[in-house]
Amino acid sequence: MSLKVKTDNISRKKIPGSSIIYIPSGKYLKYATFGNSSLLADLIYIWAIQYYSDYTIPDMYEYLDHIFSIINELEPSYLDPYDVGAVIAAYEAGDLDLALKILDRGLEKNPEQWLFPYLAGHYVQMINKDYKLAQEYYRKAMNIEGVPPIVERLYADAIFKSMDYKRALQTWLEIYETAKEERVKKIASNHLYNIKATIDIEKINEAIEKFKERYGRYPMELSQLVRAGFLDSLPKDLDGKEYIYDSRTGEVKTPIIPWKR
Amino acid sequence: MKIKAIALNTFKEAIRDRILYLLLFFAAVCIIFSRLLALLTVGDKVKIIKDVGLTSLSLFGALMAILMGTGLVFKEIDKKTIYTIVSKPIHRYQFLLGKFFGLVLTLFVMLLLMSFIFLALVFFHTFTIEWEMFVAILFIFFELCLVTSVALLFSCFSTPILSSVFSLAFYLIGHTAWGLETLIKKIPPGLGKTMAQALYHFLPDLENFNFKTEIVQNLDIPSEAFLYSVLYGIFYTLFVLILAVLVFRKRDFI
Amino acid sequence: MAMVLKIENLHKSFKLGFLLKKMKILRGIALSVEQGEVFGYLGPNGAGKTTTIKCILGLIFPEEGKIEIFGHPHLSPKAKEKTGFLPENPYFYDHLTASEFLDYYSQLFLIKKEEKEKKIKSLLRLVDLELSADLQLRKFSRGMLQRIGMAQALLNDPSLIFLDEPLGGLDPLGRKEIRDIIVRLKDEGKTVFLSSHILQDIEMICTRVAIIVNGEIINQGALQDLISEKILFTEVILSGVGEKELEGMGEYFSGHGDRTLLKVFKEENVEKVLRLVQSSKGKVHSLIPRTETLEDLFVEIVKKR
Repeated sequence: MSLKVKTDNISRKKIPGSSIIYIPSGKYLKYATFGNSSLLADLIYIWAIQYYSDYTIPDMYEYLDHIFSIINELEPSYLDPYDVGAVIAAYEAGDLDLALKILDRGLEKNPEQWLFPYLAGHYVQMINKDYKLAQEYYRKAMNIEGVPPIVERLYADAIFKSMDYKRALQTWLEIYETAKEERVKKIASNHLYNIKATIDIEKINEAIEKFKERYGRYPMELSQLVRAGFLDSLPKDLDGKEYIYDSRTGEVKTPIIPWKR
Repeated sequence: MKIKAIALNTFKEAIRDRILYLLLFFAAVCIIFSRLLALLTVGDKVKIIKDVGLTSLSLFGALMAILMGTGLVFKEIDKKTIYTIVSKPIHRYQFLLGKFFGLVLTLFVMLLLMSFIFLALVFFHTFTIEWEMFVAILFIFFELCLVTSVALLFSCFSTPILSSVFSLAFYLIGHTAWGLETLIKKIPPGLGKTMAQALYHFLPDLENFNFKTEIVQNLDIPSEAFLYSVLYGIFYTLFVLILAVLVFRKRDFI
Repeated sequence: MAMVLKIENLHKSFKLGFLLKKMKILRGIALSVEQGEVFGYLGPNGAGKTTTIKCILGLIFPEEGKIEIFGHPHLSPKAKEKTGFLPENPYFYDHLTASEFLDYYSQLFLIKKEEKEKKIKSLLRLVDLELSADLQLRKFSRGMLQRIGMAQALLNDPSLIFLDEPLGGLDPLGRKEIRDIIVRLKDEGKTVFLSSHILQDIEMICTRVAIIVNGEIINQGALQDLISEKILFTEVILSGVGEKELEGMGEYFSGHGDRTLLKVFKEENVEKVLRLVQSSKGKVHSLIPRTETLEDLFVEIVKKR
């Protein structure tokens, strides 16, 4: 009996299912299924899940692309593998490009699934902080029927984070105007406040820098900037209130935290 | 009617054949095994149950059709039970058609039994009776009718082993013939291409009846697809049956 | 007398083996059967008896020749409606019971429901299988199968019945039963065509015979015309007379205990033997004159070929 235990342990070391490398692309695999390609897709998917849950296998992400592309080719309308494959690629294999590739394929084969571009935008934003790319994805998602409204807000936020303030303002304004719920209106207005504040504060900071350069110190009050000619006028926040200024540190802040309005 | 008499007798005889129960048992095992597989997947659990179930129905149904069909006529000739039938005032085609319908009836009953096991299992997971499954099963049934007619045809002139091999080949070719289409596009125009195209039209396309993936995923299927599938099935089956009658008509029973 | 069966110039070959070698089985068979006859079709194994019958019944298609039943072409429904057939070594559907089996076949004749039950009962009674009506055919003995086969051959009340080796493999009781049925059919005015190679039985019941050897009809005619009534020898079984005394009377065989079998060839010697036994106070156990049998004729004919 101890021999059996020994042999069990030995066989563990072998990489299970590595022969999948030899399977040609899913396109040709379909021929071998005789009309049961979706079942084979299921089985390979189940196997893949077990495979990727076993962290003792070295180099397990080498064939991630191959495996999931087989599954997708066998049954393009099977949605779960795109989802799960992208998660594994993005968070465990650290391969964002592969995750995007899988999600793009998912959208291509299933154009009515807003989830895929949504997830893509999400990953891009979280991992790469590539807000421009995230925007594109959110935009794609927005064009699909049945997409929840929050995606539009994520879109607008991504625009803001990519520092395209003008477009951010426009988009949030649109959201504000088309919002049906009070809650959404409030959120939109908070964002608008925030954007305006960001723009304003940037402008003011610029002027403060120039003042400092000229006079070697921070201005006592913000109105000094206007009198000195570094600002045309003193911007106020969206509610019409003045920005708070600390003359010792030169910091400009909003009188109120935008999200607590 | 005489055909009905033969059909009912064939049905009775087939039902008492033990191999049917063996296959039914295996089908049930497969369907229940899918429950285990469902535990391992991430995401939609019912999908795997449906996929395994439908595939089992399709595969075991085909096995039943082939195993029973190939023995059908051959057994009668071999055991000489056919002597006392053909010597009566009955046309040979009536005999053949009777055998065909008897077998079709048997398949129908078997398929129904397997469907109930399948739907019961699905019910335990989704707590709804998914009647749409019956659509996929209905078309599996049409496919099996065609396979039966082919098995019957081979049974008229060949031994059960050879007939089974040929019928199985028919089934496999039927499910891969669609690949020929992609191949044809790559062939340069000419004699080869025309021949390949002729072959493609003649070969059975059993994928016509395969709505499994679409039904499971609730995808849209245009109603023309259904109509053409049924018509294709009827015409091809008729064609094969006519062939069988022609072969059977002038056959000497040594 | 109406001619129920007429065959003219029937030819049939089979292609056998991988190279499809042509083997000629029937070479121009011609025969005729009149109504009410019990016609015996004899021949050694492989002569073509079963092939002929199969041609007549549409199981095999002849190359050449004409077959007419009741004046109709042999494959026409009119011909088949009034014929019955019992094949050699019959085998029927295992799982059916006797009545289910007869019921199934009667459906093929489109016999009406009310008539069906009556008919099945009477047929089962005729072949003495009433008690086995609900027994599955797979449990039937050889003799029982033969009898149920006879029953199915009579389902449609045929006027012409074909029996292929109906007495083969039966025990003496079974043979007697079938013979009795055949005689009964004859009494009902039906015509019976039977093939066999058991000549004693043929001799007992047939009125006309045809002998087929190697696909050709050698001889055809009324039984009594073919076999002379001449006595060949007389078999005497006696006791109480020693061998020495019987010398010269005939062929001597010693038998059980003190019984002797003596084959006496000359008619006049028979008288002598009888007187000898009487004077020796012996006993005559049996005295059987043997005329030419069909077997004798048959052996002679086949030997000639």
